[in-house]
This record gives sequence, C-alpha cells and structure tokens, in this order.
Amino acid sequence: MIKNSHYLLATVAVVSLGATPALAAGVLAGTDIENTATATYQIGGSPGAVDSNTVTIRVDEVLNVSVTTLDSGSVAIDGTGAVLTFSVTNEGNGPEAFDLTVLESIGGNDFNANVTFVAVDTNNNGIYDPGSDLILTTGVSTPSVDPDDALTVFVGVSLPGGQTDSDASQLRLTAEAATGTGAPGTSFAGQGAGGGDAVVGATGADDDDLGALIVSLGGSPLVALTKSATVADPFGGTQPIPGAIVTYSILATVSGTGSVDLLTVSDAIPAGTTYVPGSLALDSGSLTDAADTDAGEANGSGISVDLGSVTSGASHTVEFDVEVN
Amino acid sequence: MKNMTFTAALLVACFTSPAMAQAAERPVTLDSDMKLERIVEENGNRTTLLVDPEVVVPGDRLQFVTRYNNVGNETVNDFVITNPVPNSIRVTDDSANELEVSVDGGVNWGKLADLTVTDEEGVVQPAGADDVTHVRWSIAELVPGAAGQVQYSGIVE
Repeated sequence: MIKNSHYLLATVAVVSLGATPALAAGVLAGTDIENTATATYQIGGSPGAVDSNTVTIRVDEVLNVSVTTLDSGSVAIDGTGAVLTFSVTNEGNGPEAFDLTVLESIGGNDFNANVTFVAVDTNNNGIYDPGSDLILTTGVSTPSVDPDDALTVFVGVSLPGGQTDSDASQLRLTAEAATGTGAPGTSFAGQGAGGGDAVVGATGADDDDLGALIVSLGGSPLVALTKSATVADPFGGTQPIPGAIVTYSILATVSGTGSVDLLTVSDAIPAGTTYVPGSLALDSGSLTDAADTDAGEANGSGISVDLGSVTSGASHTVEFDVEVN
Repeated sequence: MKNMTFTAALLVACFTSPAMAQAAERPVTLDSDMKLERIVEENGNRTTLLVDPEVVVPGDRLQFVTRYNNVGNETVNDFVITNPVPNSIRVTDDSANELEVSVDGGVNWGKLADLTVTDEEGVVQPAGADDVTHVRWSIAELVPGAAGQVQYSGIVE
C-alpha cells in the first residue's frame, strides 16, 4: 500500500502531504519498506529512462511497555478492601499481550495487602465493574493491546487484620511483553507481529509502578476475632478421637482509631466435648473457672473473658481446652 | 489451438527477459540497495558501520544506495537519478540539507532551505526534513564505462 502510493506520487505527481499518520511507537511492525530509484537521461539527442530493482525490507516488532498508576494519591482501604488502578501502555509498534504480576511486599510497608484479583477494564470506563471486567487468573496474559493503546488494570486488595488508621502500604504492578523480555536489543526470531522478528526495546520490554494504600477505618475501631484449634490425642497424635484434648485459641484484635470498652470474648463448649476444668487462660496467664474477681469464668456450657477497655493496635489471646467425648 | 498460443507466448517472454532487454536497450544500469547504519563507539571515536538490515525497528537509520553504470558505448548526458522516499522513512537532516530535494511529490525541486510547505490552515511554512518526498542527483555526463553510487540516509519512523 505504502509502495503504491509513492508510485502514484512519482508518476502523476499527486501532492499528498501529511497523509501518513505516524504512531508514537513508530511504523507498524510488519510494514514493508520498499525502495526503487529511477533515472532519466539523454543519449544521442533522445530521452531515455531506467528503473532500478526494488529492495524490500520488513519492519520488525519492537517490544516496549510502560506502567503508570492512575491513582492520584494513596487509596483508602478499610475492612471492605480497595481497588488500585494502573494503566499499561503498549509503547511498541506491534499488537502485544502482557503478563502482569503484583508484588505486595514492598520495603517500608506497615502491612502487606492481600491481593484478591487483577482485572482488565474491558468496558473502558475507568471503574472496576465486578462481573463484567475481565479477571486475569494467574499465568494468563492480558488481551492483545494495539500499539499506542493502553489497558486500564485494576488490582483488588483486602486488608489483613490488626491495622490502625494511617497505616500505609505500597504494592508493585509489573507488566512484561508476552513475547519476551531482556536487555534492549535481544531479539526473538520470527516472533514479531506482522511476521518479522521481535526485538526488546529501550524499556527492556517490561515496566512497573507502585500503587499506594492508606488505612482509613472511618474513625470507629474494629474488633477482629480469629479462632484456631490444636488437637492432642492420647497416643501422641493429632486425631480428634475420644480422649483427645482440643486447645482452642481466640485472638482478639482491635484496629482503627481509639479504643473499645467492655470487650467480652465468650465461646460455647462444642457439642460432643467436655470443658477441661481450670484450662481457661488469658495471654498465657491462668484464670479460675469461678465467676470471681479475675477476668474469666468457665463452666460446662461455655467460657467468657472480660477484656474491658482495649485500645487500637492491641490484641489479646484467650485459650481453653476441651476433651473429645 | 489454445495450448499452442500459450506456448508461443511463453517463448517470446523467454527471449525478451528483463536482463536481456536492459542490456540491449538501456545504456545505463541502476542497482538499488538498503543498508542499516550502525554507530559504533570505540575509545571515544564514533564510526558508522553499514550492515545488512536483518532486524529493522523504528528509529533505525537506513542508507538507500543507488549504483549506476554506463554499460553502453555512448556518452549519456543530463543523467538524473530520482529516489522517492518511502512513507515510513524520514530523511535525515544531513541528507535533506545536502541534496536536491522535493517536498511536493517531485513537482518542484531545490535546496530544502528554499522550499516551503502549506500547512492545514493554509499558512506557508519553511519545509523541514520530514516533508521531503523525493531526493535526486544530477550528473552532467556519463562516459562509457563510468560508474558510481549515490545515497541518502533515512530514519525508520
């Protein structure tokens, strides 16, 4: 096509300026560059003309990508989680898919967020739409991105327990050209868009950027309870068989701003088990079973420990044993 | 009948192959070539190597070479080699300023500094290297056996 339009220019001298929309990323991979020279002359008083042979070379694919956060500052996160937004731009000259990875653990983090999903903004509205935007499962590349086009990528995160307001965290989104990455100039024979080779560009065919989170729990403290159990059977194993002792551990964590008052942790003794008298403990210190001056009481139906006033950031562990009947 | 006609046509085609026609009718041959310019820096000295363009990407510099040779027995006059610039190529500033160029598809010719273009709003502007559509070289006389080459450099857009 390009060739033909130039022949037109040369032969009938049609003036057509600025007709080639140049991409920022350059000529599209697979484009042929063709060259033919022409000569005119006089010989023995008569005009003559001659064309050269035509030389053709194909433009190869250059692999370049940029990643930029689209969030103007730290994104607030609370118990319902948060969504970070990035753009991934194909700075190369051929359609290319990208492999995305997220690193939650960044030096200086107060906490590391839990990544719940990575999604592509398929309807291009800049807002994560659950159920309609494309969730990328691990190991799956993005859809192909045209040269100069950008994908909006969402990273969904949840807040691990135990954080307080203003705790900060960053995570890093990295995009790598699916064809390959490496030192600039590294080439992948025959793997370029348009049938040529693919060559790693100045970016190394990968890029990354950081997104930032800040905990904002809306002023009210948040209480999280995490219960776990360990089993010791009479034979030295961990089977919950009759006679086995199950130790329950309840971790109570307060996050957010301020403190909570009158915090009481209570739990029922599970059916089919019997409370082991005298096993109740708070932060590794024994409590009596009786309803008396210490914080705890226990009987055959359940346990209860009064933690009183607990400030944000503090945590307490309540433990008790039951025997499997 | 149809087959016989086809055979006859093929024979004619063989006897007038392009090479033979050129040798018989054209006193001058033109040979076009493209090379990739690779700048090598060694001990602070920069040299440009010309290599075969195996891998070409946007930003690369190509050299468009045309070799000519008067293979006939007569002197050729007013010899002008014209090279249209491919769409994906921007002529380098050096070549654009040095050569005789056209910025309007080969209608008007001159030094780049003397040429103008009209922009979309109808304003006349000095022409730039990226406006060049054609380059050409003029040689007054080519005696029999005279040969040489001309070239310009362009950047893959």
